[in-house]
Amino acid sequence: MTVDFLRPTSIPEVIEALTGAGDEGKLIAGGTALALMLRHRLIVPSILISLDRVEGLSGIWSSAHEIRIGAMTRLREVEISAEVRSAFPALAAACGEVGNMRVRNQGTLGGNLAEADYASDPPTILLALGALLRAVSTAGERLIPVADFFQGFYTTALAQDEILAEVIIPRGSATTRMAYTKYRSRSSEDRPCAAVAAVANLNDGICTDLHLAVGAACEVPRRLAEVEALAEARALTEKLIHEIADGYAEAIETLEDLRGSSWYRTEMIRVFVRRALVEVRSGRR
Amino acid sequence: MLDAEARVRGAVRYAVDLELPDMLIAKVLRSSIPHGRIIRLDASEAETTPGVAAVLTAADFDQPGGPSLMYGANIPDQPVVARDRVNYVGEPVAVVAAQDNASAETALAAVRVEYEEETAVYDPLEASAKGAPALHADHPDNRFVHGKLRQGDVQAGFDAADELIEETFTSPLAQQASLEPHTAVAQWTDGMLNVWTGAQAPYTVRGVLAEIFGIPPEGVRIIVPNLGGGYGGKGHVRIEPLVAAVAWKATGRPVRLTLSRAEEFVTVTKHAAVITIKTGVKRDGTLTARQVTLYWGAGAYADASPGLIRASVPRSVGPYRIPAVRVDAYGIYTNLPPAAAYRGAMSSQCTWAYESHTDTIARRLGMDPLEFRRQNMLRSGEQYCTGETMHDVHFVECLEAAVEGLGWKEPLDRGAGPVRHGRGMAVMLKSSIARSKSECRLVLDTDGILTVYTSTVEMGQGAHTALAQIAAEAVALPLAHVRVVGPDTAITPYDATTSASRSTNMMGTAVLDAAGRLKDRLRQIAAPILEVEAEALSVERGEIFDDSEPESRMSYGEALERSGLDSIEVTGMHATQGGLDPETGQGVATPHWHQGAGACEVEVDIETGKVRVLRFHAASFAGRVVNPSLARLQNDGNVIFGMGPALLEEMVFDQGQLLNPNLSDYMLPSLSDAPEEMGSRLLESSAGEFHGIGEMTLPPVAPAIANAVFDAVGVRIRELPITAERVLRALKGGEGG
Repeated sequence: MTVDFLRPTSIPEVIEALTGAGDEGKLIAGGTALALMLRHRLIVPSILISLDRVEGLSGIWSSAHEIRIGAMTRLREVEISAEVRSAFPALAAACGEVGNMRVRNQGTLGGNLAEADYASDPPTILLALGALLRAVSTAGERLIPVADFFQGFYTTALAQDEILAEVIIPRGSATTRMAYTKYRSRSSEDRPCAAVAAVANLNDGICTDLHLAVGAACEVPRRLAEVEALAEARALTEKLIHEIADGYAEAIETLEDLRGSSWYRTEMIRVFVRRALVEVRSGRR
Repeated sequence: MLDAEARVRGAVRYAVDLELPDMLIAKVLRSSIPHGRIIRLDASEAETTPGVAAVLTAADFDQPGGPSLMYGANIPDQPVVARDRVNYVGEPVAVVAAQDNASAETALAAVRVEYEEETAVYDPLEASAKGAPALHADHPDNRFVHGKLRQGDVQAGFDAADELIEETFTSPLAQQASLEPHTAVAQWTDGMLNVWTGAQAPYTVRGVLAEIFGIPPEGVRIIVPNLGGGYGGKGHVRIEPLVAAVAWKATGRPVRLTLSRAEEFVTVTKHAAVITIKTGVKRDGTLTARQVTLYWGAGAYADASPGLIRASVPRSVGPYRIPAVRVDAYGIYTNLPPAAAYRGAMSSQCTWAYESHTDTIARRLGMDPLEFRRQNMLRSGEQYCTGETMHDVHFVECLEAAVEGLGWKEPLDRGAGPVRHGRGMAVMLKSSIARSKSECRLVLDTDGILTVYTSTVEMGQGAHTALAQIAAEAVALPLAHVRVVGPDTAITPYDATTSASRSTNMMGTAVLDAAGRLKDRLRQIAAPILEVEAEALSVERGEIFDDSEPESRMSYGEALERSGLDSIEVTGMHATQGGLDPETGQGVATPHWHQGAGACEVEVDIETGKVRVLRFHAASFAGRVVNPSLARLQNDGNVIFGMGPALLEEMVFDQGQLLNPNLSDYMLPSLSDAPEEMGSRLLESSAGEFHGIGEMTLPPVAPAIANAVFDAVGVRIRELPITAERVLRALKGGEGG
């Protein structure tokens, strides 16, 4: 069987190619995940549309209110970007946790999100950071909140003719603190068993705007607004941290795989929500 | 290593690099069900697929002049390809040889197979229970071997004990996971079969293929290039019958078969084991009796298991003084891929049981685990449960070296908060092969170059380097003058196998034997030239000379030239004659005992159950070290390798389907999992015999870690691997179970 390999140079060309390909088409960004899926025949597209020559999809742009990261930006570039490290240290850290150096040098942030692998690092922190995803299709542009983007295992809100172009992350305030904790239950190169991202404003020890996301232990990364609200305008005491951890552990339906049973993952959510909050409280940015 | 630079530069050619002109590519169609009948197998469409040279099915076998279908090391229970039944998911059903991958895959997809599924059984205990489905009609209870050992009156020993302690330990299926997958190339030329293969036992492969094809062994030539790891998984015979048979159908063209990683997992595995061990002990720490019952899950075919399971009997008791011992080891068929040796073969599972158990006993008695072991460990001159007298054994010294490296007597910071620290130790004994033979040939030419012809396989362990060093020293030549020619059954003489840590010992001793003859020959040819009695001549530093007449001396090359010889050729041999009585397990288990010990410090996160090994100190008895840096790497390699089955490795099945047939879901330790501090001690003895060291510090790893976990947090894990979840469940007293 032969596969057509297309290399458009602009977003409109990509959309045209996607539209023409219909169900037979697949976008390829860095290819680190897609190549494995092809090899294991999990997908059998007849048209591969490469994004490697598309202008303007790669780069990190900083402004007073936000940082924008092009979908084709390599994970390694996000990891080491001075702008990202300064504004969102936990995002740089999470991108630095993906796979290994070879994977991060090749894999892209947009590709990582569009794959919607439940055991991936960037989605969880981007959910906690309230990131918006700019998507482009024949119908035009739209901004999709990360909370609406992941719809299930390997399933996103992107339409068949839609391409993820950019990740937009609103800046926090000078009092914003954040943490990303990844727990590997097996080897140090394994994918996570559970991951927790926490972002909050801490003013004289008083917490506001807690955004806490749990990933890798469930089908899609989850935030629980009603549990986050427990922390609003309160000090992050041991008791409160335990309450929040229990709230997440009890509400999230966990999955089961070789990295841990459903029961174990619930326990790990309890442990790592607590540890992430302790880290946030400790004041590290 | 002699070729270290070539290895680092990627210049070494491995089996997987083999390319021959006009070579075909083979692909294997495998059973998709764990147990059942083949009710239809139609390869006609596959045969007419463009680019396809041959499609092999069971119909090609047992015809006049053709190959036989069934083979097996002890029990001929395995078909080259399935005929009317399949016994595990992944069992070969048909083989295609085609001009390229794509045609081979298209042809595979065109083979029509229909199965009628039958009840399958996976657990060795369930498989040997009454009413379990039988895999082979001639073994209705699925038990194909029963190894026994009977020494003393076990019941009387239990009666005399103050405490009786019984525990059951399990060890799951695992995979050898060599970096290089199995690869073999076969070509038939004028009725002669040539096979290039990544195999650990070339002469075994030769014998099995000769039998399958009904030709004399000399009609089969086996050539073994460098292997990218073996670990037992390339022992015995693996994919060679498949590729040789499809090449036989492809008449004349060479055919290569290289397995994918997923196929590796269904080709060979480590035996699953359920081991129950019961010990009687007096309050003063004296052991009175031990009973060990082992159920080995061997997969669908006996393969090399009968020998391995018999060998497990003396390996299952432990290096302790116990007056009465009874062992029963059962080999059980299950609907899973066949099992074979896995580095530390059978000893790893056995040591996991008896060394965890040893700590349980010591704790029950309130004794220090080191003192308890010291009191009971066997010394040279004492009798083992096989009835043989132990000689040159240093279990005490090995264990003491390991715990000394760790600092057992130093105070331990037990940690704070969720992270707790603990220490543990383990010691092991392992038999090598009781009865086996190694031969070699040495050729010295007029340039003073010595060539060692050996069927010992170089698989990264450095065997060829060690043999070259032994030869260089014994023949008194610089190492740079020694070449090693590896396995080619048309050129290199017989060797049983490169396994069981036997090469340096057995082949090394054969090289010494040959070197002695070579020096004798040099003396004989030099004597008339130097006009001295041969016996009066010394052979040292590349020269033959008379001690009393420093002037009369000559180089080896000169001696050859002046004698009109192009070369001198000698052979060497080393053989051992042991064996145990099958009914009583009494006799000689091994030419010498392999001895190793390990001691470690771990941290356990009591909130997650995750174990991290912080420090590991290992010691083995080496007899005489040939190459200190390679020997040390064997100890270190054993420890990191051993952390896999201890903490991570487990093949997980659902209804016979493997859930983790890749190295992302099947977890190997990574270098960042290695302990920050690793110590290695190699004990030597004045006797100076070469001892194998390739496995000795591996079996202690899992029980040393489990004992350290117990020391840290007070829970006893009896199932491998020691996963974070298992530890957390144990800490929570089975909650969520």
